[in-house]
Amino acid sequence: MSRQLRPRIAPWGFLAPALALFVTFLLIPIGYAIYLSVVQLKVDGGAFGIRRKVFVGLDNYVATLTNPELLASLGRLAKFGLVSVPLTLGLALVFALLLDLPGIRFGRLSRTAIFLPYAVPGVVGALLWGFMYLPSTSPVNFALRTVGLPAVDFLGPGSIYGSLANIAIWGGVGFNMIVIYTALRSIPAEIYDAAHIDGATEWQVAWRIKIPLLTPALVLTLLFSLIATLQAYSEPTTLRSISSSISYSFFPLMKIYRDAFGTDDVSGAAAASVVMALGTLLISLVLLRLLQRRTFEDER
Amino acid sequence: MKNAQRFRVAAVAAAAVATLGLSGCAGSSESADEGTSAGPVTLEYWSWATNVDQVVEGWNQEHPDIQVKVVEAAGADDMVAKLLASVRAGEGPDMAQAEFQKLPSLVVSDVALDLSTYADQFSGEYSKGTMSLVTVGDGVFAVPQDVAPMVFMYRRDLFEQYGLQVPTTWDEYAALAKQVKEVAPTAFLGGYPDDASTFAAYTQPLGATWWSTGGESWNVGIDGPESQRVAKFWQPLVEDGLVDTTHFFTPEWGTKMNDGTLLSWTVGTWGPGAAISVAPDTAGAWAIAPMPSWDGESQVGLMGGSSVMVTKNSDHPQEAVEFLTWLNTSSAGTAGMIEKGGLFPASTLGQEALAEQPVPEIVSGQDDFWEVALTAAKDTAPVTWGPNVQVAFDTWGDAIKQASAARTSYLDVLTATQDAVVADLEKSGFSVD
Repeated sequence: MSRQLRPRIAPWGFLAPALALFVTFLLIPIGYAIYLSVVQLKVDGGAFGIRRKVFVGLDNYVATLTNPELLASLGRLAKFGLVSVPLTLGLALVFALLLDLPGIRFGRLSRTAIFLPYAVPGVVGALLWGFMYLPSTSPVNFALRTVGLPAVDFLGPGSIYGSLANIAIWGGVGFNMIVIYTALRSIPAEIYDAAHIDGATEWQVAWRIKIPLLTPALVLTLLFSLIATLQAYSEPTTLRSISSSISYSFFPLMKIYRDAFGTDDVSGAAAASVVMALGTLLISLVLLRLLQRRTFEDER
Repeated sequence: MKNAQRFRVAAVAAAAVATLGLSGCAGSSESADEGTSAGPVTLEYWSWATNVDQVVEGWNQEHPDIQVKVVEAAGADDMVAKLLASVRAGEGPDMAQAEFQKLPSLVVSDVALDLSTYADQFSGEYSKGTMSLVTVGDGVFAVPQDVAPMVFMYRRDLFEQYGLQVPTTWDEYAALAKQVKEVAPTAFLGGYPDDASTFAAYTQPLGATWWSTGGESWNVGIDGPESQRVAKFWQPLVEDGLVDTTHFFTPEWGTKMNDGTLLSWTVGTWGPGAAISVAPDTAGAWAIAPMPSWDGESQVGLMGGSSVMVTKNSDHPQEAVEFLTWLNTSSAGTAGMIEKGGLFPASTLGQEALAEQPVPEIVSGQDDFWEVALTAAKDTAPVTWGPNVQVAFDTWGDAIKQASAARTSYLDVLTATQDAVVADLEKSGFSVD
């Protein structure tokens, strides 16, 4: 081995572990999913023909994009996201601003309390809330009954979106609050001092200084929240066993799971997964592009 | 369906604990070792049947050359997915339990082995109707294990208290549902069939054929006149609030079963065993009666039941069939499955042995329990399942709940289910008439 070669090899040597993991756990599975999405199991004739793998080109993608069930599930997801994303971010921002107020008491305790639900696994959280929603165990309905008011149906076809969003908000506020709060702490105190000397109230400081300077963190949390919404799965799946309002294909990922493991249509599920992944990527890119000028370029 | 199976397993476990501690590993003399010159073989057997490992132990002691290893790979719902994945990967068990309605899909997925050449060993031990459940096309693809004919399970104590008569026809059932609302406004006679396995079992006595083959192609009759009649029967009961709409095996349903809100449950014969886990306070308060009839017909529908298939990956199908024949049709095997697993056996011999069994705890006051159950098992409607039953079951389950909430016609639910099944068949390359 000559000396000249060494510098060329060394970087690859350092990269190798990461590359190996990247290829094994990301590129190969994605490649396999794409392969699955262009084949299909089809019978070769007869009432009890054997299903065999055949190449079908983009048929699965056409079927996915024209599938009314998938479109309906995206519509339901949009309803859920319209409630959960703004509320999660709004509450996270409010909590972060409150915790950042000068002279705040029990700051550390409150921060932990707000963050704690994020540490609860999604399924456990959904189960906990599930029992809060069930008519026979719901403390809310118990209280309502006690004072003679009609019970609330948390699991009905209309209210289920709010109930699901509530679980997502409960679990998501803590994480987003920490991201925003950390960004707040990194704003130099001199700016606040200058504002206070100019006679600004805490309201004005929050509205005119903190929030504009927080924009990069807010964009980041918005992106995280949108992606988390597109991936919503465990909460509705857990609540499905107690609510008649949640169908097998309630959200897109639930439909994909059912297709792959319930009705043995792995190819259709693979195509839908690729579409979902591309859609997520597209939404992320568009969002970043739209907000780029207002946020990241200002910093330069 | 999903939960039903899960609870059924749980309940059967409870029943098994109660009867644990006996069952001879009675020797089976007939099993010869013909053709096993290659020495001892080990067969892997995937099952969710309760305590099946204990029963298999008896076989293993008697048959050193054919050792069976029981693996609790999955419950009824996840079994198919796991089986498909492992067999396609070239692995997987020699034998696997499969619900009757899932068998055709396992056949077309090239997982189940055609056992026609071995079928003589066991086919005589079952009724014709039971054998038809494991016959797919021209082949026999599994050994039947347990069956579940429908029965009408009701709260005998509350029927007496409210002065109610057990309905023998569905018309009487509808009238009784109204009567219940008058004598006990918070109670319901029963629930409506919001899962397809119950609904299908209601249509079977009328002669509904959801799937049938005409030579090389499929006929789908899910929205046929029989199903429409059943749908039209239930819709007004639901709309008038005369039947409960809680999905079974949800926590709410369990509460209602336990506190006397629900007075009856029309269910497969596994129902009494399964109900005790959700309604422990009602032990001894229930009884079973024949399922109500539509027009006085004697046949009843089937809800659930399972078989054991041999996979195409098995190197020892002959030994596997020999074991399955012992497990499901010999007196030693069936006795073990009944006593340790609480099973309602599919074989004639197994069913005869039931009459000697203690009745399940929840119906402990009923002396003629086995008589009623066995009568139901004697005359079951013929059923043919198709290669995509899950599509029908999922579509029905989702659509009927939406229709009930939105108060749209159940006939549209049938149409939607029919369309989904036909579209799925065509997508898979089957021809549909």
